[in-house]
Amino acid sequence: MDKTTVRMQQIALQTLANGEVDVILGWKKGDEWYDSYPVVINDINETAELIWDAFCVNNLSKYLITELKKNLRIGVFLKGCDSLAFNQLVIDNRIDSERVVIFGLPCPGMIDPQKVKHAGLNKGLLKVERTGDKIVFITKEGVKEYIGRSFDYDKCLNCRCPNPVVSKYMLSDAVTRTDEEQYFPDVTEIEKMPLEARYDYWTKQFSKCIKCYACRNICPLCSCETCVFDNIAAGVSSKADADCEQQFFHIIRAYHVAGRCVDCGECSRVCPVGIPLEKLNRKIIKDINQLYGDYTADTDIAKSPPLGTYKVDDFDPFDGSKQGGKK
Amino acid sequence: MPRIGAFVCWCGTNIAGTVDIEQVVQAVSEMSGIVYVKDYQYMCSEVGQNLVKTAIKEWQLERVIIASCSPRMHENTFRKAAKAAGLNPYLVEVANIREHCSWVHKNKEEATKKAIALIRAAVAKASLNTELIAKEIDVENRALVIGGGIAGIQTALDIAEAGYQVDVIEKSPSIGGKMAQIDKTFPTLDCSACILTPKMVDVASHPNINLYTYSEIESVNGFVGNFEVTIKQKARSVNLEKCTGCGICTEKCPSRKSKSEFDEGLRTRGAIYTPFPQAVPNVPVIDREHCLKFNTGKCGICEKLCPAGAIEFGQEDVLVTKKYGAVVVATGFDIIDLDKFGEYQYQNHPDVLTSLEFERLTNAAGPTAGKFIRPSNNKRPEKVVFIQCVGSRDVSSRGKSYCSKICCMYTAKQAMLIKDKYPDIEVYVFYIDVRTPGKNFDEFQRRAVEEYGVNYIKGMVGKIFPAGDKLIVHGVDSFTGDTLKIEADMVVLAAAAQAKPDAEVLGRKLAISTDTNNFFTEAHPKLRPVETHSAGIYLAGACQGPKDIPETVAQAGAAAAKVIGLLSKRKLVSNPCVSVVNEDLCNGCLSCLKICPYDAIAAKELATNNHGITSKRIVAKVNEALCQGCGGCTVACRPGAIDLKGFTNKQITAEVDALCH
Amino acid sequence: MSLKLEEKAISSKQQFEPLIVAFCCNWCSYAGADLAGTSRLNYPANIKIIKVPCSCRVSPNFVLRAFQRGADGVIIAGCHPGDCHYSTGNYFTRRRFTLFANLLEYVGIEREKFKIEWISAAEGNKFATVMNEMLDSINKLGPSRKLRDGRWIRQQ
Repeated sequence: MDKTTVRMQQIALQTLANGEVDVILGWKKGDEWYDSYPVVINDINETAELIWDAFCVNNLSKYLITELKKNLRIGVFLKGCDSLAFNQLVIDNRIDSERVVIFGLPCPGMIDPQKVKHAGLNKGLLKVERTGDKIVFITKEGVKEYIGRSFDYDKCLNCRCPNPVVSKYMLSDAVTRTDEEQYFPDVTEIEKMPLEARYDYWTKQFSKCIKCYACRNICPLCSCETCVFDNIAAGVSSKADADCEQQFFHIIRAYHVAGRCVDCGECSRVCPVGIPLEKLNRKIIKDINQLYGDYTADTDIAKSPPLGTYKVDDFDPFDGSKQGGKK
Repeated sequence: MPRIGAFVCWCGTNIAGTVDIEQVVQAVSEMSGIVYVKDYQYMCSEVGQNLVKTAIKEWQLERVIIASCSPRMHENTFRKAAKAAGLNPYLVEVANIREHCSWVHKNKEEATKKAIALIRAAVAKASLNTELIAKEIDVENRALVIGGGIAGIQTALDIAEAGYQVDVIEKSPSIGGKMAQIDKTFPTLDCSACILTPKMVDVASHPNINLYTYSEIESVNGFVGNFEVTIKQKARSVNLEKCTGCGICTEKCPSRKSKSEFDEGLRTRGAIYTPFPQAVPNVPVIDREHCLKFNTGKCGICEKLCPAGAIEFGQEDVLVTKKYGAVVVATGFDIIDLDKFGEYQYQNHPDVLTSLEFERLTNAAGPTAGKFIRPSNNKRPEKVVFIQCVGSRDVSSRGKSYCSKICCMYTAKQAMLIKDKYPDIEVYVFYIDVRTPGKNFDEFQRRAVEEYGVNYIKGMVGKIFPAGDKLIVHGVDSFTGDTLKIEADMVVLAAAAQAKPDAEVLGRKLAISTDTNNFFTEAHPKLRPVETHSAGIYLAGACQGPKDIPETVAQAGAAAAKVIGLLSKRKLVSNPCVSVVNEDLCNGCLSCLKICPYDAIAAKELATNNHGITSKRIVAKVNEALCQGCGGCTVACRPGAIDLKGFTNKQITAEVDALCH
Repeated sequence: MSLKLEEKAISSKQQFEPLIVAFCCNWCSYAGADLAGTSRLNYPANIKIIKVPCSCRVSPNFVLRAFQRGADGVIIAGCHPGDCHYSTGNYFTRRRFTLFANLLEYVGIEREKFKIEWISAAEGNKFATVMNEMLDSINKLGPSRKLRDGRWIRQQ
């Protein structure tokens, strides 16, 4: 068995048994090779079913909001990106970190089942194992081995935080990534498009939207008790299939995570119609970084969120005569 | 849909000249909710107002639209009229069809169309208006003054004289502050103690003033009119009531190692001490760090000798919580540490002094009994060099970028005093600029030069080298470009004034802000110089920025006047257009709290029941007494849980929709 | 310009009567607009003002709503940074709408259509100039249905 999975099961057993936590949030393996789904367990006998593999893509931190309401102490497994979301939820007062024990999982990247399918590797596939960048496809016929990141989710290729920024127990060695980071190439690409082309691009993207709100539901930071788009009284919700409604939803959704988005890319991953939502979020992150200094949210919970603070000499695009701030 | 009445004003020809009133009346009468429309030449006149009042009653109007001049002009007039007719004043909306329409547009057709649109927006908003009631808050009619220097003393006296109770908190064992340390005051050269000590006595004896010396602010809660302040009275180890101030204990105390704070370390004091002879209260305090009894358990001489039995080694810090209607911060300033200014040899040479040390040295009640001598050899100096702007107007990290404001004048004063007593002493002043704005200030400084022959040299001192018993001052005269070497016997440094090191901590307790230099920030640099952003908290003296005594006293008086104005109201009326939280929608993220300029939002814990499990939930709570109604929180709130009364999300959206009709 | 072109320009101008919604803070820009009035400075009737207590009261929701309902331009006017009646409100306006304006441009909305301006109570002149310029630039852009709710018909 995978070394980390062994460690995971041990720590879950240990902390449940010694009463450090009441429940554990982790993943179990489903019927399919790509199916690793979130579970809440409180029975030490179930700890043997916990799993860590390249499909544990679901961020468990958002589940804490509901689970913590039961007044329990919770042990939770968090990857790098998950831990950023965890911190942002702490900043947002959504969870009480005192009652959470974090098991950190350095993450080499998660595998996109679609990419496996496109490569035709899914036929007869029983299991996929990953150690660092070595990926082993196990089928009835035998074993195929690949080295590299060609099966990683796109969002994982842009990962800026493979290692958890907060944890009580770290379950494996830190992942080191030496790839040269490109500065928001996806955003720059859109910024370079002519205005009309940009409008057409986004209108086309938004018009695909079926208002399923999966992007919002998966987003670890879209955690409002009642989302403004579900609140009739707020006067902004409309499920009408009109371009302007889609535009409104997507612009405001992106704006609502401004300064809080941890760039985990889950919104785009779950979008059933493939709207590149992260490109809206990342535009705002890029602007915040450029204008107000690097904001790595989530790593420093004492820091004021960029929209919760200001500097007297902030960059002022609305005043030609004085332009200060960090450019 | 409420019953709405609309009143269209001609404003003579001011509106009617450009806007077709008849057409407007016709269009308005067709708007939904409108049951009554009336136009009149001057709606703001008494006749006009009566039209409104009568119509409210006769037509049972539930909302009133006034289409007239700017609401900044007459909104209040019409609100009052509505109130007189029994309608809540906040059910009135004004459509600005003069300043924003008839006066800026020439084309009658366009202006008429726009006037109709503006009225439509007002109708849309008004139909969503709700009755708003200004709340009344009780005012606790006692004031708290933090700091017992000249600023705090003056503020307390002024408030007490007006008949209100004032408590003064002073951190050190006696009130008096920096002014008590000063020898003479500019520009009149009267003795500081002579003008200050009578005021100190007044404070102590005033029936309306209650002193808390050797005390600090522990915590502050509440809001304007209702502050709840916990004061920590540090253990003095001497009973304030029993002590007669005879002074035997301070005389006989065998510990003599501590440096006198009041004398800027130029002499030592006992472990039990009164800071200075005129101290108020004239009751000593035991410095437990240096007291033999506290350190070794042996001694207790003071206790044995005290004829009043006032020594109480067992005293402990006491916390007192009291309510106040207003708070004045008058915590004063400090001078900077000079450890980063090695070139001036301050740390190494006893004859290099700060200006404040110089004040003690020349003071008749000071360590030398006023004899002007060099601390190193007790001989009278022959050459004295003053250096101004030590750390002031210094943009490097070791200094302060601002001008300390008082140094030019006190340096001139000190130089003049030397020359006055000892005309044979040579006095030099190095300066960047001489800044003497103020009544009789420039004349004063010129006298130092012209009458007393003080040598002013524009230039900075590069370094001071001790040589034998002399201090060689290397400077540059920037007028001539000459390098100067002055063999001085004494150097006096005008060290920059700086905010108290704990200003930020106190600011946090009071929820008032400090600027980049840690001075407290006034509410408006020009128009509200003694107020802070927190209602009911005021500033006096150098805690707001460097100030001389006249300015400090003036500001203290101003702060006192503000306090008196506040306390004289038994009740405060709050602005009803404040934010309100829908607790069901609130996530408790407190984004609103972070941006509120008035600290009007706090976290509130709610117990919630979820399928039989009770858990706690945080929500935001608006303190209506503190909220000023800017509405910034409403935008920070993603789920729209916080809204602003009088400018709700729905009202503004309705206005947008109506304008886009 | 040939006669024909001129005619065309005139007729298209007649067809296109832009609407600009201006959110003005009560203390500075609304008063600035009042001053423009008292000084009888002209600006087009296409500009319609909504009073808000502070520019920081303006939510991006309102801006998008205005565009949906047929506004051709939206402008938020507030006190100059440092002069806010509520001391810090417009600093938040500045951050919020710096990001929001960038985001709108990123999804293809012309900068000219959404503006922020700092206009003090003494700047009646600036108020009129800003409004005139804004209308000019929107006229130059011509009619556009971007962000517009097709179901909402504006009566002109």
